Amino acid sequence: MAPKKSAAAPTSTATSAAAPAPTTAAPASSTIAKPTSSSGQSFDKVALNIVQHYQKTTPQRTKIIDVFMAFLVLVGGLQFAYCVLAGNYPFNAFLSGFSATVGQFVLTASLRIQTTEANKSDFPSVSPERAFTDYVVGSLILHFFCVNFIN
Amino acid sequence: MKSLISFAVLLFAAVSHAISSSGDRLLVVLEDVAEKETYSKFLGDLEGRGFQINYETPKSEGLSLFHLGERSYDHVLFLPTKSKGLGPNLTPKLLLDFINADGNILLALSASQSAPTSLVSLLLELDIHLPPDRQGLVVDHFNYDVSSAAEKHDVLLLPAPGSLRPDVKDFFSPAVEGGLIAFPNGMGQTLGAGALLAPVLRAPPTAYSYNPKEQGETLDDVFASGAQLSLVTTVQARNSARFTVVGSADLLSDKWFDAKVKKVGEKKEVSTVNREFAKRVAGWTFKETGVLRVNWIEHHLNEPGQSNASNPKIYRIKNDVTYSISLSEYSWDKYIPFTVPESDDLQLEFSMLSPFHRLQLTPTISSADSTTYSTSFKLPDQHGIFNFKVNYKRPFYSNVEEKNTVSVRHFAHDEWPRSFVISGAWPWIAGIVATVTGWLGFCAIWLYSKPATGKESKKTQ
Repeated sequence: MAPKKSAAAPTSTATSAAAPAPTTAAPASSTIAKPTSSSGQSFDKVALNIVQHYQKTTPQRTKIIDVFMAFLVLVGGLQFAYCVLAGNYPFNAFLSGFSATVGQFVLTASLRIQTTEANKSDFPSVSPERAFTDYVVGSLILHFFCVNFIN
Repeated sequence: MKSLISFAVLLFAAVSHAISSSGDRLLVVLEDVAEKETYSKFLGDLEGRGFQINYETPKSEGLSLFHLGERSYDHVLFLPTKSKGLGPNLTPKLLLDFINADGNILLALSASQSAPTSLVSLLLELDIHLPPDRQGLVVDHFNYDVSSAAEKHDVLLLPAPGSLRPDVKDFFSPAVEGGLIAFPNGMGQTLGAGALLAPVLRAPPTAYSYNPKEQGETLDDVFASGAQLSLVTTVQARNSARFTVVGSADLLSDKWFDAKVKKVGEKKEVSTVNREFAKRVAGWTFKETGVLRVNWIEHHLNEPGQSNASNPKIYRIKNDVTYSISLSEYSWDKYIPFTVPESDDLQLEFSMLSPFHRLQLTPTISSADSTTYSTSFKLPDQHGIFNFKVNYKRPFYSNVEEKNTVSVRHFAHDEWPRSFVISGAWPWIAGIVATVTGWLGFCAIWLYSKPATGKESKKTQ
């Protein structure tokens, strides 16, 4: 996924991001072409390459979204692990706690899709501000339901 | 209205001297009214206990069990008659109607007179079978009276019957120790498998029944023998109406009340206890003993801090509830506290179609004329329409079947424990808190962070 994305990014988006992309992509492809060289090293390089590319090309706000989504995955995973280990009583509490994180994750993912520059053409009528407002309203409704349901 | 009736009944019981719990009008049907002298002691005992006795023959014109659809008599006593049938006033159907209308019947048979067809049909209806040709004589070559039946061996001497089962109260055994019941010239019955039938007196193992007219010389086909033969049989219908067959009418006659008998193989003469036995059989049949009365039933919520009003219409699942029932037993002339026989239980069912609980009721309060049985329990985790049901049907006791219907609702939405009360829910509450605070922080950072320069640069482009 990542190389494809990085390949698509420079063609469609800003020139500032396009300039470093070919330089990083080229060595990566050259290392993969040599199968005899140590594979661990090449994977390291690929990963490093991806991270570097992500850090350079991703806007600040998208990075915040990604951090928040990683946080939600962590919280949701902990809740699910607790349910598996300690049992699901009271079940409504598990449902609302777990679905709060899942729902928040879905809403945040939608925000990310709507505010990514690359998807701008898909949402011509949704400005980032509008997307954020929708997100806030949706989240508040979600929190209201979850707090109500956990009783 | 109910209290008024019970007050009237109480007043009536107090005024009258000693009387059956279900009325005092007794009809005696016999061949000839003059014949009553034969049974004067037995009938005198009944009169002494407060019965108003009418004597009729089956042929009499004015004989009618019902008048304008109501019973004319509370009890009927049939003594042997010569006629083959009993006429249009005492058909089996009328007699069954009489039983269905809570009338009690005591029937005395005799081996010397064949039983009327009308009564044979009635007995068949109740699953009691008489010997063929309506004739049979019970003899026993090991338990007869030497002084009166040395030749025919047809006067059986039997010990007191005892209780039918260990968990059934003994209503019929005379109090006299070692007394013998003389059963002269009697006709035995065999019983079907009906649950309402209960034998009081069974024949000893060596007794058998034969037809003296046809099988005088040789005996090839025995109608029944041993404990198959029931000599005194009772039926208690579902409405607690009582029907008793006494195989020997002579058992009730003056001649055998307090007669001196000598059992074969024994030297000492003893007097019979027929009088006491006849009194107990008649007393049971005419509802002077073994009648149970439910005085009141009460159930209430048994939870601290909640209303404990009596007999609410609705409960909630898992409520703690107390149920009480007050019972009295009629014994000859008054109500006494009812005590469950040992090794028997009085049980409460909490049922919806089938019982969810079947609980033992234990005596709590005892007064001069009643015992209160109660139990406390937690309602099942099932909502619906339930019955508190006491179903106490035992041989010789009148039936108790009491049903009180209540609704059981589920928890109202604000009756569940809050999640924060349950420690197991705290991690998930923490999860929601973490999500919401995380979201607030995210929103703050999002609003604080300037839109990406890329957007600016894009706009410039």
